[in-house]
Amino acid sequence: MSLRLRLLLMIGVSLSLLWGAVAIWMLRSLDEEVHRTLDQRLAMSAQMVAGLMSQNPAAWDGRNGKQGVSTMKMPPMAKSFDCQITSLRGEVIARTPGATLEAVAAVVPGYSERSIKGERWRSYTFEADGLRVTTADRLAERNSLLHNVTMAAVVPFLVAMIGSLIVLWFGVRNGLLPLERLRQMLASRAPEVLTPIPVAAMSRDLLPLVNTLNQLLQRMNVTISRERRFTSDAAHELRTPLTAIKTHLQVARITQGKDAALAMDYAEEGVARLQHTLTQLLTLSQIEGPFSWDDGNLTDARQVAQLAIRDAAADAPGRIDFHSDGNASKLALPQALAVTALRNLLDNALRHTPAEQGVTLELQSTGTTSVFRVRDHGPGLSIKELEMVTQRFWRRGSGQGSGLGLSIVAAITERFGGAFELLQPPEGGLEAKLTLPNMQ
Amino acid sequence: MRVLLVEDDESIGHGIVAGLRAHGLTADKVSSAAQAEAALATSHCDVIILDLGLPDEDGMSLLHRLRAAGTALPVLILTARDAVEDRVAGLRAGADDYLLKPFDLNELVARLHALLRRAAGRSVDIIKRGPLRLDPASGEVWLDGQAVILSRRELALLAALLQACGRILNADQLKDSLYHFNEEIESNALNVHIHHLRRKLGADLIETVRGLGYRIATVNP
Repeated sequence: MSLRLRLLLMIGVSLSLLWGAVAIWMLRSLDEEVHRTLDQRLAMSAQMVAGLMSQNPAAWDGRNGKQGVSTMKMPPMAKSFDCQITSLRGEVIARTPGATLEAVAAVVPGYSERSIKGERWRSYTFEADGLRVTTADRLAERNSLLHNVTMAAVVPFLVAMIGSLIVLWFGVRNGLLPLERLRQMLASRAPEVLTPIPVAAMSRDLLPLVNTLNQLLQRMNVTISRERRFTSDAAHELRTPLTAIKTHLQVARITQGKDAALAMDYAEEGVARLQHTLTQLLTLSQIEGPFSWDDGNLTDARQVAQLAIRDAAADAPGRIDFHSDGNASKLALPQALAVTALRNLLDNALRHTPAEQGVTLELQSTGTTSVFRVRDHGPGLSIKELEMVTQRFWRRGSGQGSGLGLSIVAAITERFGGAFELLQPPEGGLEAKLTLPNMQ
Repeated sequence: MRVLLVEDDESIGHGIVAGLRAHGLTADKVSSAAQAEAALATSHCDVIILDLGLPDEDGMSLLHRLRAAGTALPVLILTARDAVEDRVAGLRAGADDYLLKPFDLNELVARLHALLRRAAGRSVDIIKRGPLRLDPASGEVWLDGQAVILSRRELALLAALLQACGRILNADQLKDSLYHFNEEIESNALNVHIHHLRRKLGADLIETVRGLGYRIATVNP
């Protein structure tokens, strides 16, 4: 249900209910008041006639005893308002012309109501000084009066009510215009546009909403540009070895002998590079994806070190000097990933250390964690390079490697609650410190 | 034709140079913007192939600087950046062509010839000079409609002289067109190649301008 319809319904229905209840209340008291006033009129007329008659007894005394006729003319009163004066013995002294006899036939003093020829009459009888005065009026007349009064009150009321509903409709529509404008502005945006929504002309009530939306847009913008950069970098990383392979294959086709053989060697090296980059990319996406690595095997820290050394220095096993403090802890992460992380660090250390020098690997267990330290004899890194080193596809200059190794280490420690940092020891080179959680 | 390749990837650079040489072009590779500027300052080249991701500087800013300095050499950008904005920016910065990696070697060679042809103000590939015709792309030469077989160096020398359109080229310029860096050149090599050309195509084809160099003789119709 739209906000506008909801507002309209809520305000409109409650307004109508409230006004309706007030109207019913008002009509009821009006009804009572009219009846009471008319009853009072009946009574006051009767008393007034009785009073006037008693002021001048001579006028009617002589006629006492004459039966049946109105001996005294009374002016015709308002239509359907009848009056009759009788003596207490029942002799009619005076009666309004054309009066309905049954209506003014006295019963008991006070008010009474009866039905005469299908019409309801209400009468009042007053006795004083030997006279009985009865006044009567038709209820139909009273109702017609009441109807007129009601109409006079209800029509303006209804007009006001309909008028206020129309005003309400316009008000709600105008009041919600800023929201509608915001909706249109959002609806007309191209999906790739992530610039903030301008807040300058925005209604103050909408500002919190727009600000939240803008924050969301900004976060999306950052995420999307990061993904875009990653995709573009990945494309570049895959295209470069692919270009080398293609070029060298074409060269091999148009040359002979030594040149062709060299081109084939280069092409093969390109294939290896491409394969390495693809493997690293797949590893990275698997570490960050929902893929489960748990193979059910307990991971021994020392075994991880040995496997990583075997993988990293397959062709020069003597270059890595391994020390351990003797405590063999079980690591709380899958063996394959622990080996991958450590091997990437060893690969980097070996790559940046002159071939005649070695690399040291130290393993310490501290109870809750196992710490691997890889020290190389390379040139180290500048402050600026230290910041960029875990960025994907960053590598120094046009050096070797896919540029993903340290990103993978960082992703593994992030997923399994370890830590990874690069330190510059005072004696030179670079120390990579990898902290992995132990099984509790 | 002498090509200067600015490419930081060792393997790709080696492949392109080998491919261009196999197509009869003289090619040299440098791997940074600074080396490219040094090479341009010290030797002659006809066309530049420029990679954008260089270790010391973005290729685009090198191109900006070259154009600002008034270098009119044809430049072909060879890059893995495939976004339309990158291509437009490259061409706006003064590149004459834009080729995406991975590319086809034949296409690269054809584009280089097209760039050179345009730079020389011709709209067809074949250079005509009197009874002589040369197709620089295929390396074929005809004299009076008869095909003439030339060695790679002779062909490069003839192409350089023909493309100069009668301007005098000195010995260093000619050597730059024939040999890549670090190639050992015997002192009389150029004379030998010129002698061979004169023998195959006629003694009056190439004029020697004493103290200055060589030029293609003007043709009297």
